[in-house]
Amino acid sequence: MIPPTAYLDALSHIDAPSNITAARQDFLGKFLQAGLPDSHQEDWRYTSLAHLERMPLHAPEAMPETLPALEDYPGALLAYSDDRLVWQDTTLPATVLSTLSDAIGSGMPAAFGSLAGNGSLTQLNAALWREGACLRVPAGERLRQPVFLRFAAAEPDAMLYPRVFIHMAVGSDAILVENFLGDPGIEYWQNPVTEIILEAGARLTHLRIIEDSKLATHTGLTAVHQASDSSYRALNLTLGGQVARHELKLTLAGAGAEARLDGVFIVEGRRSAEQHLRIVHLAPRGNSRTFYRGLADGRGRGVFDGRVEVRAHADGSDAQQSSRNLLLSPHAEIDAKPQLEIYADDVKCSHGATVGSLDEDALFYLRSRGIDSETARRLLLEAFVGEALGLLDDTGLRDWMMPRLLARMPRSHSEESRP
Amino acid sequence: MSNLDLQRQIDSEYRWGFVTDIEQEPFPQGLDESVIRRISAQKGEPAFMLEWRLKAYQHWLTLHEPTWATVHHPPIDYQKIYFYAAPKMGNRPKSLAEVDPQLLATYEKLGIPLQEREALAGVAVDAVFDSVSVATTFKDKLETLGIVFCSFSEAVREHPELVRQYLGSVVPYTDNFFASLNSAVFSDGSFVYVPKGVNCPMELSTYFRINASNSGQFERTLIIADEGASVSYLEGCTAPRRDENQLHAAVVELIALKDARIKYSTVQNWYPGDAEGRGGIYNFVTKRGECRGDNAHISWTQVETGSAITWKYPSCILRGDNSVGEFYSVALTNHHQQADTGSKMIHIGRNTHSTIVSKGISAGHASNAYRGLVKVLAGADNARNHTRCDSLLMGPDCAAHTFPYIEVKNPSARVEHEASTSKIGEDQLFYLRSRGLSEEDAVNLIVNGFCKEVFKELPMEFAVEAQKLLAVSLEGAVG
Amino acid sequence: MLQIRNLHVAIGGKPILKGIDLTIHPGEVHAIMGPNGSGKSTLAQVLAGRDGYDITAGSVQYLERDLLPLTPEERARAGIFLAFQYPLEIPGVANVQLLRTALNGQRRSRGEAEMDAIDFLDYVKDKLALLGMDDSFLYRSVNEGFSGGEKKRNEILQMAVLEPRLAILDETDSGLDIDALHLVADGVNSLRRPQRAIILVTHYQRLLNFIVPHQVHVLAGGRIVRSGGRELALELEAKGYAWLSEEISDAADFMETYL
Repeated sequence: MIPPTAYLDALSHIDAPSNITAARQDFLGKFLQAGLPDSHQEDWRYTSLAHLERMPLHAPEAMPETLPALEDYPGALLAYSDDRLVWQDTTLPATVLSTLSDAIGSGMPAAFGSLAGNGSLTQLNAALWREGACLRVPAGERLRQPVFLRFAAAEPDAMLYPRVFIHMAVGSDAILVENFLGDPGIEYWQNPVTEIILEAGARLTHLRIIEDSKLATHTGLTAVHQASDSSYRALNLTLGGQVARHELKLTLAGAGAEARLDGVFIVEGRRSAEQHLRIVHLAPRGNSRTFYRGLADGRGRGVFDGRVEVRAHADGSDAQQSSRNLLLSPHAEIDAKPQLEIYADDVKCSHGATVGSLDEDALFYLRSRGIDSETARRLLLEAFVGEALGLLDDTGLRDWMMPRLLARMPRSHSEESRP
Repeated sequence: MSNLDLQRQIDSEYRWGFVTDIEQEPFPQGLDESVIRRISAQKGEPAFMLEWRLKAYQHWLTLHEPTWATVHHPPIDYQKIYFYAAPKMGNRPKSLAEVDPQLLATYEKLGIPLQEREALAGVAVDAVFDSVSVATTFKDKLETLGIVFCSFSEAVREHPELVRQYLGSVVPYTDNFFASLNSAVFSDGSFVYVPKGVNCPMELSTYFRINASNSGQFERTLIIADEGASVSYLEGCTAPRRDENQLHAAVVELIALKDARIKYSTVQNWYPGDAEGRGGIYNFVTKRGECRGDNAHISWTQVETGSAITWKYPSCILRGDNSVGEFYSVALTNHHQQADTGSKMIHIGRNTHSTIVSKGISAGHASNAYRGLVKVLAGADNARNHTRCDSLLMGPDCAAHTFPYIEVKNPSARVEHEASTSKIGEDQLFYLRSRGLSEEDAVNLIVNGFCKEVFKELPMEFAVEAQKLLAVSLEGAVG
Repeated sequence: MLQIRNLHVAIGGKPILKGIDLTIHPGEVHAIMGPNGSGKSTLAQVLAGRDGYDITAGSVQYLERDLLPLTPEERARAGIFLAFQYPLEIPGVANVQLLRTALNGQRRSRGEAEMDAIDFLDYVKDKLALLGMDDSFLYRSVNEGFSGGEKKRNEILQMAVLEPRLAILDETDSGLDIDALHLVADGVNSLRRPQRAIILVTHYQRLLNFIVPHQVHVLAGGRIVRSGGRELALELEAKGYAWLSEEISDAADFMETYL
């Protein structure tokens, strides 16, 4: 067990607005009581966080002195290093985009903290987040440029607790990109929580990209609450991290709400990537589409755990879920757990999950047209993953994202290593 | 179809709910070591059997009832159950002529004739009444082929070496709470051994009947198909209508050696409780088969319409290369019934194939869950699985769930899972009704179509029975 | 340009081709006919380099090289093209992407410059016109959602783009209505060249009314049991394959006994 002093020490580092200091102590107490989740809990059966117990984890110390080299972000940007805001490039007023501590300083945003639930890691984030980010789009307003939140890690063995709160007022429209990354070769733990509220008719397109270092642990939660006729479209890309786990809790609370959840994960080496989706249809005529693609190479392990719940009286709900996965090496593993829980009768729900290898017939077809096997393999893998990348076109971010994604594609195997 | 129509209730009649008034052997209530010793003594078992029971009992004491299934029931008081109930008939009758005529009449009434000359053509029956087997037909005929088909008690006495070798080799007494309990107290059941190269020429069938009140039924079935052998086995069950819940915790073990084939079909029609959810059987059953040799084949088919609660996952361990496992299931729940059922396919050998087809139908206030696991181990090259789970919902108060687990560690494997949940199609109903069918007939037609893939796996006579059973079980679910 | 000598092929230990001899010169069109299961498609697949076939005896020379050790893509770059009986659907890979990658792979292997996207589009549009196909074909995923006729036309489009030396059309006529058959046959005929040889694998002689072959071979039981001119195809049309069976079994017995 990580000594409680590490957490208590981290808490003492935080200059919180006084109105939430007591709450933080309360959250930390709850976390210390529950401890880290372990694999005896059904939702954690594929995850081990035991390695965290062995790390000298601590809150990040000094403010980084040099600015991180920032790649080009085509939009408004808040850049964080080790949980502190180090750079911003935005023309949006502070009432729209600011740090979360500033937003709380000028009055607690309504509903902050109400969606994240009470998982022990969520309690820990609630106790130890530092500056955070807050985006509030006023009613009827449409942001012309995407908003980028960049959470980087620079200090070895740091515990990081990014916290994001998004409020989309009635009829507003925005594109949000959360990007998690860290210095290559360092170990650290990112435990972010993002809460998103969509009021009636609001629309949000959300790219969430995990590009953490190959040694990092990422345990993230996104909680989304949708009012009637709102639209939430997300693309979750898990491309980094030794252990990367993302949980997405989505509630279609208002009639006619619509969600589209796309995702791609790529694991190789000894990396693991887990996607846990909890979609709850509470109100009539909700529509959810889940579309995930996974590649597991090396000794990597990919997990897709998707649960759709249709509650009583959510009539006319339509939920479709698809998880397709490729195993590219004899030592890789894929676990899939697509689940439906239905308590209403006027519904249309389906899910499909497949695990297999690259289609040898398709490979031969391409080779018979003169395409060498490496190129053929790459084409097929890109096509396979590409099916889940439609949102890149809709957001105009394809050119920005594709090079980063392609760099993470499994490198071609030589002829001999194919089964 | 409007909800009003759906709720137009026609009181469903459970046609097998009568009680046979027959004198019982006295036996104490509750469970301790002495009860187990007494069961074993009653049956004249060899020492190894008693030892095994006692080990199972000791292990059971360390376990807790599983809670992961989506079923709800008040706590079961294991000290209130009679763990042994037998009709008084002295020693087991040597021939049908010695069987109590009241018992024969009971089976006659259930449509299970025990008189061989009247028996269903080509079906041998073992009839189990509460805790004991009362009659087995066609035994002699089967013996000429070397096939052993008898009650479990008899097998323990007559073929102890086979029992000792195979009992608990697929479902060990440590397997789970209910399997442990069964291992400690099982009273009777069926035993089948088909020797090398023999194709069993007739369907073997066991008919289970719970009669006594407050009693549990804990039967054990063990089927062994030796190399190149094949057998088809059918299990049926009913119980009287009673207000209290009764526990049925059976264990079935199948062993298919090299090139052997076992087909196991179940039509489960235990008393489901009344329309308000009073009474009914708790059916907590462990069924598992192992394809122990290459090219072995095990196929489970089940039609589950009865029981207040069903908790069972007929599974296959595909150890032999090229072995095949299949699971075909129809589970229908109405009123307040709950079912949590599915299958596990464990791929160990190379080129192993498995198929799962599950059709769940929920009506009234019932809940119906598919829970399954497809696991492909690293050595299982070219493993294939195809799973299809469909749920049909009838009425706004029922529930349907799908909980599949897929774990694949071999890149040459191909595992495909598909599931769908939908309401019975109004357009289809309307179309059929506009062609002159009554609503009830239209629903039956659609439900039978929905289940067709499974019914075609049943032996012919039973497929017809199963269709009728479905229609009866749906009464009250539709107007 | 192609010499097949005593080719024996087995799948999983089961012999399929039992000694094929066939010589094809540039500019020739050969039809290979035969009943189902005779080994026609196996021959086509083996020439294209498909895995999973054991070549137990014999040799195949193509343009003075040993063909058998070459990978499928090496064969394609050397000018062999197989039009598949069942063209595959490849979701997510656009037709134009396949065509350009394939063509440029060939050009690279011949030491020629790759074609850029603009030049390529001009080039491919001419080919489309030739086959009466419109531009939208290019941007759809390979064969996904294509009708049977569209798939077969798409195979011929690939052939037109890749300009092979030896084209093998495996049951290209199957599943086509008469109009589609006309389109496909016109496409193939327009691609006949003095340097290009074509092998038509077919069950029916119908296709040969439109694409007239120089020679017809009848494959049965894994061997070529008859070779002849176009009239052989007409004979097969009139009599079916049954009349061959006696000859085949005799020939087979002969081979089994005396080899």
